[in-house]
Amino acid sequence: MTRKAILTVLTVSALAAASPGKNIDLVTLPARQSVQLTIYNSADVTLVKETRFLTFKQGTNRLQFAWTNTLIDPTSIELRPLEHVDEIEVVSTIFPGQKPQHLIWNVDSTFSGMAKVEVSYFISGLTWQMDYVATCNPAETALTFRGYVRVFNNSGEEFDNAEIRLIVGKINLVEKIADLARRYGIATPKPGAPKYKDLRRKAARQSFDKAAEAAGKGAPMVTAPKRIVKEGLSEYFMFSVPGTETIPNGWSKRMQAIQADDVKFDIVHRVRAYQYGDWPVRFFIFTNDKDHKLGESPLPDGLVRIFRENGRDGLAFLGEQKVHYVPIKAKAEINLGADRLVVYRKRKIKTRRFNFRFRRDTNGREWVIGWDEEQTWNDEIRNYTGKPMTLELRLRFSGDVDFRSEAKTTVFDYRTVETKFTIAAGKTRAYPYSVTIHHGTNAKQTRVKLVGK
Amino acid sequence: MKPTRGISALVAALLLTAVPAGARIKLTALPARDRIEIQLDNGRYTLVEEERIVPLLKSTIKRGNNKVDFSWSNTQIDKNSIQFRPVGIMTGGKVRPIRKVNGQPEVAVINVSYPPNENALLWEVYAADGYAVKVRVSYLIGNLTRLFQYKAVTNKAETQLELRKYIQLHNYSGEDFGNIGVWIGYANRLLDPKSVGQQEDIKMLLYRFAKVPVRKTYTFDWYRFGALNKDKPNASKVLMHYMLTNDKANGLGIVPLEPGKVRIYIQDNRGGQAFLGEDWGKLTPIGSKMRLYVGQARDIVCKRMVEFKETKNVRGNLYNLEVRIRYEIENFKPKAARLDMIEQLNALADKFYPKGRHGDVEWVREGRTSKQIAFSYEYGGASPVLHVDLPARPGDDEKDKAGKPKPVKKTVVKFEFTIKNLWR
Repeated sequence: MTRKAILTVLTVSALAAASPGKNIDLVTLPARQSVQLTIYNSADVTLVKETRFLTFKQGTNRLQFAWTNTLIDPTSIELRPLEHVDEIEVVSTIFPGQKPQHLIWNVDSTFSGMAKVEVSYFISGLTWQMDYVATCNPAETALTFRGYVRVFNNSGEEFDNAEIRLIVGKINLVEKIADLARRYGIATPKPGAPKYKDLRRKAARQSFDKAAEAAGKGAPMVTAPKRIVKEGLSEYFMFSVPGTETIPNGWSKRMQAIQADDVKFDIVHRVRAYQYGDWPVRFFIFTNDKDHKLGESPLPDGLVRIFRENGRDGLAFLGEQKVHYVPIKAKAEINLGADRLVVYRKRKIKTRRFNFRFRRDTNGREWVIGWDEEQTWNDEIRNYTGKPMTLELRLRFSGDVDFRSEAKTTVFDYRTVETKFTIAAGKTRAYPYSVTIHHGTNAKQTRVKLVGK
Repeated sequence: MKPTRGISALVAALLLTAVPAGARIKLTALPARDRIEIQLDNGRYTLVEEERIVPLLKSTIKRGNNKVDFSWSNTQIDKNSIQFRPVGIMTGGKVRPIRKVNGQPEVAVINVSYPPNENALLWEVYAADGYAVKVRVSYLIGNLTRLFQYKAVTNKAETQLELRKYIQLHNYSGEDFGNIGVWIGYANRLLDPKSVGQQEDIKMLLYRFAKVPVRKTYTFDWYRFGALNKDKPNASKVLMHYMLTNDKANGLGIVPLEPGKVRIYIQDNRGGQAFLGEDWGKLTPIGSKMRLYVGQARDIVCKRMVEFKETKNVRGNLYNLEVRIRYEIENFKPKAARLDMIEQLNALADKFYPKGRHGDVEWVREGRTSKQIAFSYEYGGASPVLHVDLPARPGDDEKDKAGKPKPVKKTVVKFEFTIKNLWR
């Protein structure tokens, strides 16, 4: 810590015979025992929990909590006894009008002595994200897979020795912290304004300062990457960094969270012009399970960068893609983009029009108002990858369409058909089919229908 | 009360002597408030009840009755709501009930006068003798409002939660209710906040419901949320809710649960609590259900495909629309779950046969609908809810016949129906 900015003050006052209006007659500043930051990446919110030992007397105890110039959500601040739980009760929380960043707890205690308490609240200003690096062997059969969590400290302030927990999942928040701060009389500027950023920095600094105080002498020397502990909570997963962490001013810290070697994967090519464009795209697909040396936790959203060993101690960059959350036992599908070694050519062989319908006008002339158009196609797939490949093909149509093919084809949805091929290395495969499109008054539906061969 | 602050609820006992009309001679005491109750039952109006000991002189023909003056400023008091209620007579430090003397109560309010252009009123009070009378002055006051907040902590299995209901008082009424004997009344509770100062917010625990059974639901609603992302164009969000029932069988049922923010925590594996999310709880009367949106469940993946649709001509421009929807659902959670899928058939008809329906759709279920779907209609007949039970994901050591890890079961169900009588 280069600067100390203690913004939070916790004071304890014993109320003399609960007499109102009495000034504080005993003030202590109990030391923090620990600070824990739980950072959510789906919303700009960090849950700060600090523990302290407070001395209570029997009867009513008055505790004061104050903060300045920070984006703390006042409605979130809570005091919770961790010891003598049944004997200590927070009777009321008072937010004095004249001191906006200030509250007073009236705590009734039937116990006299020291007890551990937890003070928790939400602040704005810390973020984390996930990214992955996957390196495949030259034969493209197995991956070395690493996942990293990166905690960002853009506050302009350092922090030391805080316990860090990261929540994977999309929580629901109904109000933003800055809005809540405003509501309680704290003038906060609009997001993006320099003043707002300054407040965010201060908010983060506050928690950092606590963190700095918490561990005191710092963490022991670390000789290997920490093994992040993962545990499921409801629909979410929590990544806990063992021990405490220090992130210097303006830095972010990236820590290894997932490690798996020899992750076997499948390569699948897909043609879905409506989704990926005209060219076949290549996917690396593996399952997030124990069999693939993974499955300890879901894979949170993050960017995956794929490399391939070139056999000369070097690497080739194959591509990158943002993957969305992959549950345990679900398949991770990484799109490497268009593969120029696989060619898909659409080839229309023949067009025929028939089933004409006419409208006769008052002069006796006839006008075409409906017809059918039969298109015969023989699409071609060429595999230059040097090994057998699997191709999944989906074709989407609009209008009233009858679809015929000798190849096994199924309906994916009412306007899309799908089929799957395996093609040997260096070979070409044809996909013959015909479609009959009903036009004008002949069009009765908007759907594709599989009809006989 | 601090008269110097300009928030002047002023009570005076007056003795009217033979004075000219219009002259109000304020003679004696400013009896302090002994107790104040702020009643917050009504969401629109807040009732303040002040308890004071007012010395009254014996009413005689010569002296007339007692006059009690009550005035205020800078406070939004509803003048017509003010009441003066004698509740007892102090004798030897104790309160005794008001009795009748010669068929008349010992103390009685005769009338109330409202002086012009003043925030004041004057009670004429009869007293059979000289008494120290305990009275309650009550009135409706503005800008003294309340809101409710909730904190729910679920157990790890998410089957039961502890629900705390808090009341938060905002005192922007302009009145300082001091530090002595202030009580906040709500329903059957009377809370002691110690003091209620000006511009203060006071949050207090109102109820603690220790064991409230909770049911977790998973909901898929294609027409509300659309595609999940460009990589999964047929999947959509699965939302997680907690359902509580506000009745005694479910650990609640004492009071309605008023609207308020509910913050939800879960017990973590180390004896602490982790924040799960928050939602606005809607007004939940006794016997009704509260539904709280907690967040997105990303371990249940549901894809929805319209597998088949055709219009069938009935006559002229009258058509039926035949539709079959296929759902492919995977549960990656280690626990079995039930997915509720909402089908909005009005929206579906608008997409496939625009401007063809005239009010809610008329529809019938057809034979190829999967038998494992259970139907309910809590959102109305045009928005059936399809319930499908999903098995838990296989364990890490479970193998299929080929000795490979058993994959997550893909549950495929179909909903086939005909929307009848569409025309345009």
